[in-house]
This record gives sequence, structure tokens and C-alpha cells, in this order.
Amino acid sequence: MSEHNSLKRDRTARIQAAIPLVKMGKVVEAANTVALLETVIRPGDKVNIEGNNQKQADFLAKELCKVNPEIVHDLHIVQSAIALDSHLDIFEKGIASKVDFSFAGPQANRLARMVKEGKIQLGSIHTYLELYARYFVDLTPRVAMVAAVQADVNGNLYTGFNTEDSPAILEATRFKQGIVIAQVNEIVDRLPRIDIPADWVDFVIEAPDPFYVEPLFTRDPAQITDAHVLRGMIALKGIYAEYGIQRLNHGIGFDTATIELLLPTYGEELGLKGKICSYFVLNPHPTLIPAIEAGWVESVYCFGGEVGMEDYVKARPDIFFLGPDDSLRSNRAFGQVAGHYAIDMFIGSTLQIDKYGNSSTATAGRIAGFGGGPNMGCDPRGRRHSSEAWLRCGAEDGILHERTGGLPRGRRLVVQMLETFGEKWAPSFVEKLDAWELAKAAGLDIPPVMIYGDDLSHIVTEEGIAYLHRCSSLEQRTAAIRAVAGFTEVGMAADTAETAKLRELGIVKTPEDLGIDLNRANRNMLAAKNVRDLVTCSGGLYKPPARFRNW
Amino acid sequence: MTSWTEMQNRSFYEATARQRAKYLLDEGTFHELVGPEAGLSSPHLPVLGEAVSFDDGVVTGVGKIGRRPVFVISQEGRFIGGSVGEVGGAKMVGVFQSALALYEKAAAKYPGDESRLPAILISFETGGVRLHEANAGLLAHAEVMEQIQICRGKIPVLSLVGSKLGCFGGMGFVSGATDLTIMSELGRVGLTGPEVIEEVLGKREFDASNRALIYRTTGGKHRHIMGSANYLAADTIHAFRAQVQRILALPYAEITAHRSIGSPALVEEQLGLTALAAEIKPKDAAEVWAYYGNANCETIPDLSTDEFLQHVKTRKGGSAS
Repeated sequence: MSEHNSLKRDRTARIQAAIPLVKMGKVVEAANTVALLETVIRPGDKVNIEGNNQKQADFLAKELCKVNPEIVHDLHIVQSAIALDSHLDIFEKGIASKVDFSFAGPQANRLARMVKEGKIQLGSIHTYLELYARYFVDLTPRVAMVAAVQADVNGNLYTGFNTEDSPAILEATRFKQGIVIAQVNEIVDRLPRIDIPADWVDFVIEAPDPFYVEPLFTRDPAQITDAHVLRGMIALKGIYAEYGIQRLNHGIGFDTATIELLLPTYGEELGLKGKICSYFVLNPHPTLIPAIEAGWVESVYCFGGEVGMEDYVKARPDIFFLGPDDSLRSNRAFGQVAGHYAIDMFIGSTLQIDKYGNSSTATAGRIAGFGGGPNMGCDPRGRRHSSEAWLRCGAEDGILHERTGGLPRGRRLVVQMLETFGEKWAPSFVEKLDAWELAKAAGLDIPPVMIYGDDLSHIVTEEGIAYLHRCSSLEQRTAAIRAVAGFTEVGMAADTAETAKLRELGIVKTPEDLGIDLNRANRNMLAAKNVRDLVTCSGGLYKPPARFRNW
Repeated sequence: MTSWTEMQNRSFYEATARQRAKYLLDEGTFHELVGPEAGLSSPHLPVLGEAVSFDDGVVTGVGKIGRRPVFVISQEGRFIGGSVGEVGGAKMVGVFQSALALYEKAAAKYPGDESRLPAILISFETGGVRLHEANAGLLAHAEVMEQIQICRGKIPVLSLVGSKLGCFGGMGFVSGATDLTIMSELGRVGLTGPEVIEEVLGKREFDASNRALIYRTTGGKHRHIMGSANYLAADTIHAFRAQVQRILALPYAEITAHRSIGSPALVEEQLGLTALAAEIKPKDAAEVWAYYGNANCETIPDLSTDEFLQHVKTRKGGSAS
């Protein structure tokens, strides 16, 4: 007769073993963390250390590095981000052996090296949403270590402004008889609100320092160039206005920060207020403040918090999703779902785009991962509700007949904005993506592509816009890409007559075609020119971190 | 084309070297000396495979403010960090020599009329010596220092610091040797840049990513409290220009009364500051502000320039503006 209760019995045994370490309620002293981890984690466990591109359970990650590898080894790490040194140190020390993750950012180089050296067995690289999904299928954590702002002694958690991945991880872990450990900044008598109920949490540890949060979405307007302003004006007139984009996500980067700062100026001048940019799925970008203050924005749902925006968000309950305590709730899983299904446009930047329109942020020596990009930067095949922008973009599809026999179907706008040459004069348009090299070096099944060419609808460069979805063949698509690729290898292959024809067909539009005065494309168009302007615009509610203050 | 009047309200911090040079002076009077068309660029950079700039990162010229002929040296931070190389240094020295030649003529022609005599403005945006041409760059610093001394008793030399890169390295010394300094709160003056301090002494001593700390330590407000920035201007070209106009309307003796070097008494004063620093061992600039009688020092960085000038107490007592 097969056993049906082994997970629960195993869980109970592990918790029982840890009882001597519990001081009161569910509280374990920080000094006993290593002992706790050695007691409740078993070799081969799937373990999650919470962290993404923003908040990090950094104390628990560091303590996990200190466990005895003879007791705890061969862990299978399943988590959103490989962001801290400690996330890779556990592999160097023989504590963990395999990883399934989503985003590596700052550790991308070291990760690639360790995979190559055979120190890490790489499972798959996911999008955030895919990884959350697999927590509920075949990558359920046995032990989850999360970060919260506050806890009470019973184990209720307040994740507050930076809720992020916690609910998704804990729901999967606890409801499959897993074990949950939370590091918190402080233990208090009464929480402002309960984000995670106590019976989902087994142990609470007050960490010596508050968990680390990266202000990843803050862009200093002082670093925006005239070229950014030009691309922003092109995008606003040729895409936002053209399609009446009301629901959208902005990627990280200066291009989209620029657009946010052009809404109250150039957008206003074009008469677009109320017609575009009413609903965002977006972190609380400081550069969105001027547009919010000018009454452009109806709603913003956030994946996470952003350092310094706490008070501003709290004071704008009409716009943001706030808890009963008036502080932001940012549930990344719901944010990613909203970004996948409920927006009409994703617009962002990339490092490299090939002649077919495939784009990637991977380079040969870096396994950077995906984060949320691919779920927003795609045409979601499961979408069935319609909107004006979606219908319009679908109706323009140059191969609709080949795809559906002419049956009407809408289409998400997926837009990439980039300068034809990036940092250190690296060409943004290439014959072949570096992702191919990386796939070979790291033994990946397929090159890691952020956005596939067939999902991409528009490219914006300083040369103009390529409306790729209007193309009726791959050949025409590559010609349209060449036309906006400037003086890169790809762009030099452009043929003047061919480009002229694409302009006639409305597949390529230059700033001139769009009626944009190049002389006006400069920083004076920006609603805020520096961080100080953003603070002023927020009425002093935005409190930028020291690294962004030049006063 | 943006008009001269419109340009007056533009940010000084963001203005290019050429914009600063042109719009600090009276409308239509700026004449560039050894401009890009002269094609004088660094002979050292091509040897190292580096790109050159046809003005070598320094704009030099002459124009007028009222009746005075005013010479301008304006450094461009966008070209190799505003660094001083051989050609740029020679252009700077050339400005001093032209101003001195004009001074002799004007003093003879208009005896007793200071309003006709030339002045020199230096708009700094630099990290100091251009390392690619180190010896020539160092020599240029020494030559400019010498020219400033030759100008003493004749030509007022004013420092303007409010651009993106601030004024660091050897040029920090040079600005200290001029007759007076005008800064905006966005300006920074120092000798060793923040990144170098961090590298040598460690992040605990000085965290170069903490911009608020950098501004508290080297920024215009701190420099004004300490007295090394004699005037604090708002961040517009107009505000700097208006301050220059007010200063140049004063008698020469009054303009140069602010000098921080050049007499035994001033040397004593500087040594006194060093001794004071050793005594109170401040952990942060805000402690020094408190020492000079300021309350609520944590709010000082947030004050606007006007509020700051109204309320703040400085080392020399009251506000110099």
C-alpha cells in the first residue's frame, strides 16, 4: 500500500527537531540561524532564497553559506534571482549543485564562468512568471527563505511596500508541506497589516540589518541626452498617438524614462492627455511623478517598490494599490500576469537586435536571464479581450491571412527602442546575436532570446520607426530593420530605393515623415531635468536615496 | 535658434563650455579666440589612438560686460573630463597674455577709469591634468598659476564653478588662487576626486557612490559656509552673469579683498582651519556647519539657494552675498 502522508510527516519531524532553537512563538535568534538551517534543510532539497531585481533575503543567503556541507549538500536552488555573491558562494562551497532561476543581472559573468567550469548544473532560465508557475508543478520548494519588513512573534508577516515574490513562493511552499523561514527587519507587537498569515510561516528571524533593496528603477533625468528626447518624441507621435495606447508597461531604461518626462510637455502639446498612458503596470518610477501630478495617470499596479517612493505612493491612493495601512502592495506574480495579459503595449530597450528582429541582453560571457521581459514583450497567444490599440495593430498585420485565413485577431504592440550604437560604440544591430555564442559556451538548448522577431511589432531608433508587423514577408521585415539601423553593419546594407519604397508603404517612417522638428528635440522638452526637479514636483514626498542626490 | 534672452534662464550646470562663454557676456559681444576653425588639437592623443577635439576641450574668447572687455576661459567636461593638456593649457595662458596686453593699453588710455579695464572669467569643469599628456598638463597648471600672479594689482580674475564635473585636481588649486569664486550649489570644488579618495582610503572613509555625501563635502553650499566660495548663485546662466556684473562694478580693491592666498595673514587663517579640523575631528560636513552656529543642519541641503542665503551662518559671519 502506498504512503500518502510522507511529506507532512517529514515536515513535522524537521520542525520538531528545530524546537530547541525557538526562543518564543516562532522566533529564532539570528545567532542560531546556521543551526536552524542545518536542522531543517536536508541534502537534495529544493530550496528557495527570496530575491529578485529589488529586495533580497540577503541575511539568510549569507547564513546558508555557513552551513556544514557535510550536513547540507546537493541543494537544488529554485529562485528568481542570482543577484548576490552568496547566491553563488553556496555552489563554490558544495552546499548546492543545481539551479533553476530567472534573472542574474549583477552575477551574470560569474554564473557563466561557474557553469562553464562545471561548478553549477544549470536547469532552465525562466521568466519570472514561468518560474512561479513551476513552483506549483515540478519545482516546489521544500524550504523557502523569504524577506519581510516586520513580523510578530506568532509569525504573521508584513511585507508592505516590497511584497514582491513572497506570496507566490510561500503559497507554493507551505501548501505542499514545505518549510518557511522569514528574515525580518524587526519584530513588533502589532503589524501595520498582515500580508502573510502566521500559519504559512514556521520560523522568524530578526536580521541584524534591514534586507537589501536595489533602487533599480530610478533613472536620473540629468543623464537623459538630446538623442533620448528625439527617440521619445518619435515614439510618442508615431506609436503612442498613432494607436492610442492606454494600457502599457515601460521597460527599465532611459528611453522610457524620457517618454514619461515628455508626457506633460510634448504629449500635452500633441493633445494626448486622456488619450494615452492612463493605465500602467509599472514599478513606482520616480520619472512618472510629473505625469501623475499633471493628471495623466489613472492607475499604476507595481511589481515591487522603489526606494524613496514610499511616501509619495502613500499620498496617491487614487493611482496606486494600497493596503488598509495605506502603504503599497506590490505582488509581483499578479503584476506579471497583468503585464502579460492586460496591457496593449510593451516598450523597452535592449542591447542587441539581429537582422530578423530577435533581441537579446545576453552576451558571450554573461548569463543575464530574463526577468519579466519576455512575458510583457510578446503577443500573448491566450488573450481574448479586445481594445482599440490591440485591434488596430492586429488589423495591420501583414501576414494575418497566412496566420488565420483572414479571421480578425488583435495584436499586442511590442516595441524596442535603441540607439543604433550603444555603450562604447558597440553596434546595437548585428548579423548574429551574441546569444548564440553563449548558448554554445553554457550548453543551453536554445540561444536565450528576450523578444523573438515575430513578436516584435516596432523598432524605434534615431533614424525613425520600423512598423515590422505591417511587413508581408521576412525579406520585407529585414529591409525595414536595415532602414532604421543607421551606420551599423546591418544598416549599411540598406538600399536607398528600397527604403524609399518602405516609406511610401508606411512601413518605415523618419522623424521628417512624422513631422518632428529636430531642433526641438533637446533636454528642454523634459518635464524634469534632474532628481531635484522630481522631488520638487512631488511636493517633497519623493525621498531619493543618497546616491541620486546632488545636493 | 534659441535667443540670447532665452539662454539666460538655462541651467548653468547643463550648459556647454561654449554656451557658458557666450552667454555670460553681453549679447552679441562674444568673439572666440583660437576656436575650432583654427584646428589646434592635441598632438599627444592621436599617438595614443584617442580622438581629438578641435578646441582641445577649452573655449577661449573675449567680449564685453558693460564697458569692460571681459576675457573668458571655459572648460568642456564632455571632452576627456575637461582635462588640461598642452594645447588647452596654452590657450588659457594666451588669454591671460592677451588680457595683460590689453590692460596696459587701456590703463594708459583711460587713466583712473576701472570700468574700462579688462577682467578674466574662468568657468571650470575639469578633473585637472590630462593624464595622457601629464607633463605638459602639469606645466600648463604652473603657467596659469604664474599668470594669475602677474595679473595681481591689474586684472580681476574670477572663478565660476557650477558645471557637471565640478573643479578637481590641480585646477582645484588654480581656482583657489584666483581673486574670488562664484559657485552654485551644484558646483563642487576639491583636490582629490571622490572615487580616488574611496580607492585609497576605503568605502568606510568616503563612499563615492553617496552623492549626497559628496555634495555635503565639496558642494557649493559647504564651500560657501567655509568661505572658499565667496558667492553662491542659483543654477542659471543669468544668475552667474548677474553676480559677475555686480562684482565687476566694484572697485578693484574690493573685488580682490576676498582672496584666500597671498599674505601672511591669509596663510595663518588657513593654518588655523587645519588646526581646528584636528581639534573637532568632524565626521561629516554637517558637524562643521553646526560648529559655525547653524541649527537643523540636516535640512540645509534641501534649502533653495535663496532660503540658504537668508538663513545660513557662515565661517566669516553672515552671508558674503
